Amino acid sequence: MNEQQKAKQDRIKDFTYRVVIAVLKAALIYLVYYTVAPLILPLAAMVPGVAETIETFIAVYIVLMIIGDLTAGTIYNCFLNAGRVLFVISYLIFSIGDGVISTSYETFSLTIDLTILYVIAAMLSMLGFARTVLQAINFMSERAESGLKP
Amino acid sequence: MLGIANMIFWIVLIAFIASAGYSIKDINFNAGEPTLGATEDGSLTLTFPLYIDNQGYYGLKAFNITTTVYGDQGNEVTKTSTFVPTIFKGQTTTILHNVTLNIKQLAESNPQLLLNDSNLKARVAAGFDFAKLMPVQLSTNFTFPWGAPFHNLVLEQPQYSVVSRSNVRVIVPLSFENHATFDIAGDVLAGIYDGNGALLTESQTSLSVPAGSAFIGELGFTLPVDAASQIVTEGGHVEVFFSSPLFEYGPMVINLE
Repeated sequence: MNEQQKAKQDRIKDFTYRVVIAVLKAALIYLVYYTVAPLILPLAAMVPGVAETIETFIAVYIVLMIIGDLTAGTIYNCFLNAGRVLFVISYLIFSIGDGVISTSYETFSLTIDLTILYVIAAMLSMLGFARTVLQAINFMSERAESGLKP
Repeated sequence: MLGIANMIFWIVLIAFIASAGYSIKDINFNAGEPTLGATEDGSLTLTFPLYIDNQGYYGLKAFNITTTVYGDQGNEVTKTSTFVPTIFKGQTTTILHNVTLNIKQLAESNPQLLLNDSNLKARVAAGFDFAKLMPVQLSTNFTFPWGAPFHNLVLEQPQYSVVSRSNVRVIVPLSFENHATFDIAGDVLAGIYDGNGALLTESQTSLSVPAGSAFIGELGFTLPVDAASQIVTEGGHVEVFFSSPLFEYGPMVINLE
């Protein structure tokens, strides 16, 4: 009975720890967004709708990150991390497209070529994806060695 | 390690985007009053002063401004570019962008612009590499009024007067309004031709018409009496050429009755 209670307490502790970590990371990400958003306001003002899109992106990213942290130590964590990276890549593809942003205001037309930044961000995302794949392989290997089911 | 390296790269990228976005507000573009000048080779030069105050964190590379002027038929009249290799951060730069309009070519390709006021279309495109990584291009289209140098040009029917037994004086009244932004100074060359197209006599008149003013004058010819009577009976015509350092125009033909 004591062992069961102890195991239960451990699980609660573990879960609480994960929640705290997830909340802290989410708060940190939001803090970065809160700090950076006013800085890119002049850029966002030129391209209508970009501020709302970034807000949506941050919200989805944080949700995926929290769920990922809550499932830490399971195979779902690897899937969620991979999903999060794929979400970033998809967001880049759908929001920036070919890397050229064009907008017009009255008779003025503004074109910003973000191809280089886009390529850098896409490559970093691919690096992140490779990392999650390696994590999954490592996780499965550890589980196989220890004889546990994933 | 891979995760940490990835995170560091992301932080650097986000910091760059944030600082680049923030520094855009510290770049100021201002345009001064354009000035107009004429050159001896028949060109008008519009000089646009541009003031660029780059107080941002990054330099602007390959700053290029191009102005294209189109005729009223949509044909390209002139295209002028000004290039500045680098505008460093913290630097205030004055760029003189010259738009050269060759009136001779304009008159050849669009002769109606010499006679009729119109609106010319222009496209201005400014491009630069922001922070060496982001090519940016800003463009706009606008129209500007074109004032015809020979607006409402009228050659009236000639008036004949006998000046001697053998000669007749022919006066052809000429009037127009110079709506252009430049003065017209040049010569009017005119010739009277008979019904067979043979030149009977010609005259040359100097004129100087300041911008925005009207010209009312006349072309005078002296003809032998028999030639004048031949014109009256068989008909003829007057051909008028305008010649100035800026452009040449003609012939303008008026049939004699």
